[in-house]
Amino acid sequence: MSVTNLLENWSQFRHKHPVEDKPHAEYKWAMSIDLDACTGCNACSVACYAENNLPVVGKEKYSHGFSHHWMRIERYWDEDGREFPDQGAQFLPMMCQHCEAAPCETVCPVGATNHTGDGLNSQVYNRCIGSRYCEANCPYKVRYFNWYDYPTTNNVWPEPMNQQLNPDVTVRGKGVMEKCTFCVQRLTVAKSDARSQGRTVRDGEVQTACQQACPTGAITFGNLVDPEARVGKQWMQQQVELAVDHQAKDQHEHAEQASKLRGYRIFEELRPYPSVMYLERVRESAV
Amino acid sequence: MIENSFNRRDFLKVLGWGGAAVTLSGCGNTSVEDGRELVTSYSEPAEYVIPSIGVYFNSTCAQCDAGCNIMGKVREGRVLKLEGNSQSAINRGKMCGLGQAGVQAHYNPDRLREPLLRTGDKGEAISWDTALELINAKLDGVQGNQIAFLTGGISGHVNVLLKNYIDALGSAKHFAYEAVAPSVVRAANKKAYGVEMPRLRLDKAKVIVSFGADFLGAWVSPVHFAQQYAQFRKASNGGRGVLVQIESKMTLTGANADRWLAIRPGTEGILALGLINALGAGGVKVAADAAGAAKAYTPERVSTETGISVEQITKLAALLKERTPSLVIAGSAAEGYAHGSHNAAAIALLNQALGNVGKTVEFPAALPFPQIAPTVGNRYALHALNDDMAHDQVKVLFNFGANPVFTAPAGLKFKENLGKVPFKVAFAHYMDETALQADLVLPLDSALEEWGTSVPEYAAEGAQLNVHQPLMEKLYPGTRATGDILLALLKLRRAQEYKGYEDFYAYLRSALVQNKAALGGSGKDDDTFWSATLSNGLVKLPGASNAARKTSATTLVFPAPAAQDGAYPLRLIPAVTANMRDGRHANQPWLQESPDPLTTIVWDSWVEIHPKTAARLGIVEGDIVEVASKSGTLKAQAYLFPGIHPDAISIPLGYGHQAMGRYAKDIGANAFHIMDAVFDSETGELAMHETRVKISPTGQRVVIVKDEGSAGGKQMGKKIAVRVSSEKVDLSEEV
Repeated sequence: MSVTNLLENWSQFRHKHPVEDKPHAEYKWAMSIDLDACTGCNACSVACYAENNLPVVGKEKYSHGFSHHWMRIERYWDEDGREFPDQGAQFLPMMCQHCEAAPCETVCPVGATNHTGDGLNSQVYNRCIGSRYCEANCPYKVRYFNWYDYPTTNNVWPEPMNQQLNPDVTVRGKGVMEKCTFCVQRLTVAKSDARSQGRTVRDGEVQTACQQACPTGAITFGNLVDPEARVGKQWMQQQVELAVDHQAKDQHEHAEQASKLRGYRIFEELRPYPSVMYLERVRESAV
Repeated sequence: MIENSFNRRDFLKVLGWGGAAVTLSGCGNTSVEDGRELVTSYSEPAEYVIPSIGVYFNSTCAQCDAGCNIMGKVREGRVLKLEGNSQSAINRGKMCGLGQAGVQAHYNPDRLREPLLRTGDKGEAISWDTALELINAKLDGVQGNQIAFLTGGISGHVNVLLKNYIDALGSAKHFAYEAVAPSVVRAANKKAYGVEMPRLRLDKAKVIVSFGADFLGAWVSPVHFAQQYAQFRKASNGGRGVLVQIESKMTLTGANADRWLAIRPGTEGILALGLINALGAGGVKVAADAAGAAKAYTPERVSTETGISVEQITKLAALLKERTPSLVIAGSAAEGYAHGSHNAAAIALLNQALGNVGKTVEFPAALPFPQIAPTVGNRYALHALNDDMAHDQVKVLFNFGANPVFTAPAGLKFKENLGKVPFKVAFAHYMDETALQADLVLPLDSALEEWGTSVPEYAAEGAQLNVHQPLMEKLYPGTRATGDILLALLKLRRAQEYKGYEDFYAYLRSALVQNKAALGGSGKDDDTFWSATLSNGLVKLPGASNAARKTSATTLVFPAPAAQDGAYPLRLIPAVTANMRDGRHANQPWLQESPDPLTTIVWDSWVEIHPKTAARLGIVEGDIVEVASKSGTLKAQAYLFPGIHPDAISIPLGYGHQAMGRYAKDIGANAFHIMDAVFDSETGELAMHETRVKISPTGQRVVIVKDEGSAGGKQMGKKIAVRVSSEKVDLSEEV
C-alpha cells in the first residue's frame, strides 16, 4: 500500500473497530488472562524475549526506562496500610492490548501503526520515523522505542548469541517503535496453513509464545469470531463485549448478578476497546 | 576471494547450476577453480527438513534438577527456542523462565572453548589427549581414598560412568553438593514417611499450608507444582483451594497465598505443634502420641513465640478441620535452622495428624534401576569435603556441576582449603570462581549439544528416564560432553571393558537398546526402539510401589524458640529466587533482565528490609547499606519491602560473581560469603538461615533500577489489577 493511498483513504483504514455495519470477517484475535491463575513467575516474559528477538539493554539503559519487555509483569500491593501484605501481592501481565480504537493509531503522523483486518494493532517498522507520539498516547505504556541500534553498535547479541535470533521476526534497528504483536508471525503461518486447506484457523491451533509457556495456563488466546474458541466463550460468559465501553459488570442496576462476573478490561473508561480481558483474582475470605 | 571478473553467471556454474563449469576450469582465474577455496552446497538436509520451517526435537531441560521434558525448535541447523514437551507428566508442555533461558547457556559468548592448563597465573590451551594423559599421570601413585569427586546432583548414565570411574580409581569419595537443595526436608521426610521425596498432590488438596516452601518459584519442581496449583485453584474437585503460606520472607508462592503469615524466623515447628494442639482442642481426633507431644503448645504460648495471633491460629485450625484433605509442606525456610530437622519433623507430624498421608502425600514407585537413580546433592557433602581438604587428605579433586568457591559460606574457608589440593580438575562451561582455582579446566559441551540421560528426583507420575539429545551441532570443536570425558578417562583405566564404545553416544545407545525389554521396547527391533526413544525424549519406567509409613511422635525433639543476639540483632534470610537460584546461570542475560517478581529489581542485588525496621534505622530506599555478620560484610542497595518480618532482612543468592562472564561479573553482592557456618543438629546440613547480621547505612544512595514505576505498588485509584472475594464467585461454573 502506498503512502498516498494511505493518506487519501485514511478514514477508511483508520476506522477498523467493529461497528454494526462493519463486523470482523474471518478473524478477530483476542486474549483473556486469568489473574487468579497467574502467579507472576515471569515465564511469559522470558518466552517473549526468546520468540520476538527482544534486546537485553543492560542496567544503565534499563534505569533510563529503555527496557524492551513487550510482556511485563506488574506487581501491586494492597493500599490499606496494614503492617504486612497478608493477602499477598497482585500480579498483572501487561502487554499491548490491541485496542479496537487504539489511541496510538490516531496520532501516528505516517500511518506506521494501524489496525489490521484481523483486529491487530500493527506496527510497520519500515514506515516508522520515530516520532514516539504513539508511545506518549498509549495509556498502557506498552510501546518500546529503539533508542539505540541494539544489533550493531550496542552488540546485544554478541557472537554466537545472534544465532538464537528468530528468523521469522525482524530485528529492529535504531529509531523505530516496537511492541507486542500477538506473535503475528505465528498467526500468519497458521492462517496460511489453514487457507491452503480451505478453512479458517481452528481453536488451539496457534498459540502465542507467552500462552505456550505459562505454567498455570492463565492465558487464553484465540479468534473471537470463531464460536468454538475458548476465548470467545470466556468473553461471552463474563458478558464482556468488544465494542461496548460499559460492560454488564459495571451496570449497577444488575448489581446482584454483576458481582458474579470476574471479567473486565483495563481503562474501559478511556474507550480504547481493548482486545484483552482480565479475570479478577479471587481470594479466600475464610482465613 | 572471488574476483570482480567472476560474474554471477559463472558463480552459479561452480555450484553446479550451469553447464559450462568444465570449460571454465582450465582458465584458473578464480581461487575457487584453482581449488584454493572450496564451495559446497548449502546443506544436504534430511528429508523432513524444509528450509524456513522449524523442526522440533525432544530433549530434557538441564537448567535445574526438576527434569522438565522439552522440545527444541531447530531451523537451518540452529536451535532457536525451547518449548515444553506436552507428553511429559512433569511439565506437560509448559516451561519456566529459567528453562527458556537454556538457549543462552548454549549460545553464551563466554563459554570455554578448549582445555586449559594452569601455568603460573595463566591458562595455557592444550589438546584433549594431553589433558587426559595428564590426569592419568597425576593419578598414578595417589591412593584411591585421596582422590575426591565433587559434583552437583547427578543421575542417569553419566552417574553410572562416574561411579565406575570412581570405582576404577579405588576411591569412595563422591561428594554430591547442591547449595540450595531441600536436604533437611529430605531427611525428615525419610524419617516421617519412609521416602525422601513423597509425591505431593496439590491438585487434590482443599487447603495447602506451606511453611516456606516456594513451590511456585524455585522449590523442587516448580513447573509441575504450578500446574497442580492451577488445578487446585480451579476447584475441579469441589471448592476452590485455599493457600496459606507461613514464612518470614515473602516468596513468589507467598505472594500468591490467600493468607500470608509473617512468622518469627525459626519458629515454624512451634506453630505446627500449636496447630496440632488447636486441632485436638477443636475436636479433631489426633493420635495420642501426637496430641501428647503438642500438649504444651497452647495457642497463647505459640502466639507469643511465633508472633502469629491467637485468633489467626484458631481460624487456621478451624479451616483445616473443616476442609479436608489438606496438605502441609515443609520448605527451605523451615529447614534453614540449627533445629531445622525438628521443624520439619513437627510439620510432618501435622500432616499425619490431619490424615493427609496417603491422600495428598503419596508414595512414588521405587526406581527399578538403582544404578541410574539420582545421587542428590546436599550441603553436608561440601562440609565433609572441606574437612578432608583441610586435613590434606585430598590429592586430586575432580569438580563438576558445582561452583563451591562461589557458594561456600565464608566460615568454611573453602577457597583456602582448596588451595591445599595439589591437583584440581574442573569440568566447566565458564571460567567461574572454582575453575579459576583449578589446575586443569576441561570445557564442557552445552546441555543442548550433548547426549545423556537423567532421572528426576521428584517423580511427577511414575519414575521416568529422561533423554538428553543434541539439538544442534557443537558450536566449538574443542568442547566435550561430560559422558565422553568420563568414558575416555575410563578407557585409560579399564580399556578392555570399554573398548567397544567409540563414544558416549555409542555407549548410551547400547545401554538402552540392550535393556529395551525393561524400557517398554520388547518386540521392537533395535533401531525402531532407539528412534522411538529419541522421538519421545523420555522413557516411562515400571516400578514397584512403596508402602506408606506412620510417623511417630515419640522421637520428636521440640524445636527451640527463637533466640536473640544483641550484637547482631537481625536474621539474614538468603533468598533463593526463581531467576538466580544458586547463581550458576547468572551469565544468562535474560535472567538478569527479567525483573524479580516481588521487588521488580534487575541487574543487581538488594537488601529487603521491612519499612518499620528501616524507619528505626534511618534507612530509605536506595541507601547503600553495609550488612555485617560474624563471617563477613557486604554492601548492597536497600529496598523497603513489606513482605518480611521486622526481625529479618533478606538478600537474594546468586549475585556477586567475581568471574564467570560479562553478564554475571561484578553484578551485585554475594550473600553466600557472609553466611556463618552453622549446621543442622541432626543431619549436619549447613543451616542457611542461621546467620545473624547488623545493618547500617553507609551514607551513599542510589536510584534502584527496577521495573516498578514512581507510584510503587499503588494503583492510584485505577482499576488495574482487581481482586474479588471467593464467596462472590463460583469458579466451577466458568469456562
